[in-house]
Amino acid sequence: MRGPQDYGGLPAGPVDPVTHEHEPTHWEKTVDALMMLVFDQKRQLARVDESRRMQEALGEDYHKFPYYERWLQAVTWLMLEKGVFSQEELEAKQAEVRARLEAERDGA
Amino acid sequence: MEPKYKPGDKVRILQRNQPGHVRTPIYVRGKTGVIERIVGSFPNPELLAYGHTGLPYKMLYRVNFRQSDLWDDYDGPVDDTLEIEIYEHWLAPA
Amino acid sequence: MSEHHHDHDHPTHTHDGKPIQEDPLPPIEAQILEASVRELLIEKGIVSAEEIRRAIEVMETRGESLGARIVARAWTDPAFKEKLLHHSDDALLEFGIDMRPMELCVVENTEDVHNMVVCTLCSCYPRPILGIPPAWYKRRDYRARAVREPRAVLKEFGTVLPDSKQVRVHDSNADLRYLVLPKRPEGTEGWSVEQLEALITRDSMIGVSDVRDPAESGA
Repeated sequence: MRGPQDYGGLPAGPVDPVTHEHEPTHWEKTVDALMMLVFDQKRQLARVDESRRMQEALGEDYHKFPYYERWLQAVTWLMLEKGVFSQEELEAKQAEVRARLEAERDGA
Repeated sequence: MEPKYKPGDKVRILQRNQPGHVRTPIYVRGKTGVIERIVGSFPNPELLAYGHTGLPYKMLYRVNFRQSDLWDDYDGPVDDTLEIEIYEHWLAPA
Repeated sequence: MSEHHHDHDHPTHTHDGKPIQEDPLPPIEAQILEASVRELLIEKGIVSAEEIRRAIEVMETRGESLGARIVARAWTDPAFKEKLLHHSDDALLEFGIDMRPMELCVVENTEDVHNMVVCTLCSCYPRPILGIPPAWYKRRDYRARAVREPRAVLKEFGTVLPDSKQVRVHDSNADLRYLVLPKRPEGTEGWSVEQLEALITRDSMIGVSDVRDPAESGA
């Protein structure tokens, strides 16, 4: 059975290095840095292999998310799986962050 | 740990019907190639992916394929090749 | 605020066909999730804001220039080149890079062989040397077609190779990371290391194009 990540040889569109190239944004670099730290030798919190498995577990949704959003999703689930934080803690934090971002946007 | 294969050996990639996380893409399964080098032994990513230690170590090889053996419709010279890393438990002598 | 569609990526062109600049921020839900995960990890002492800042800084220093320095050194120092090809750990330590437990596999372009690197299963890339991989390297189109029709993909980068030259694709699917050692171009005899470095592009070290033409470099 072919996992959603197993793209080798499948039909696909043109490779467009002009359109599909951009300087990594600050947001992307932050997600990247967070991931590298979570997987590093110092913390031994998770392996990058686990995050790959999490992404593959997305199934058809694997194709829906842009790259960094997919990794972010995978790391979030890994942290929940390992009990680093709970679903309740995450939801409370998301509500707090949402309120803050909305206030910033409305205040601007 | 002794490698089962050496450079130059002809090998076939197994069609393992293995669930879970694997690093052997579908496009090489069932195909025949040649060992290009012994890479060394590593913890098994198929187990690491589930938080396991990944032990015992598995031997990893680079395997060379002719593109015309991988794809029926390969539209390039017959000398074009592809090389990929395959773990020993995915290999059989060809 | 514009709609974001997730077919495979954000909308890439306006109605009259001009490429849209990638938005600096993703949809609000992704922003909220990232901030939430980051803040929770900091609150729990798993990471610090300083470590994140420092990691971004390190990432920003990596890129084309480090790879170019390594390649230029290999072009001008035969003993280093041998080390790079056969004992890459030791060669990289000379540049202050330690990639272990991963290992760098350097593949050399020659008169007869052109090498090209892809990771079909995800986006494995020699990050300690080249930094963050380009967006196209991570997308389905490259990952799917580089292994099956490499010459057609190379053409999309403007790279056309004669049939007499073998194209060898490396699928970076396990514990090795790959760097292409491009061929030193004709007409660069006596060039300084800095002049040579200026020819070596990130794309030539991935293997989708060759180095810059010395005749056009103005050196």
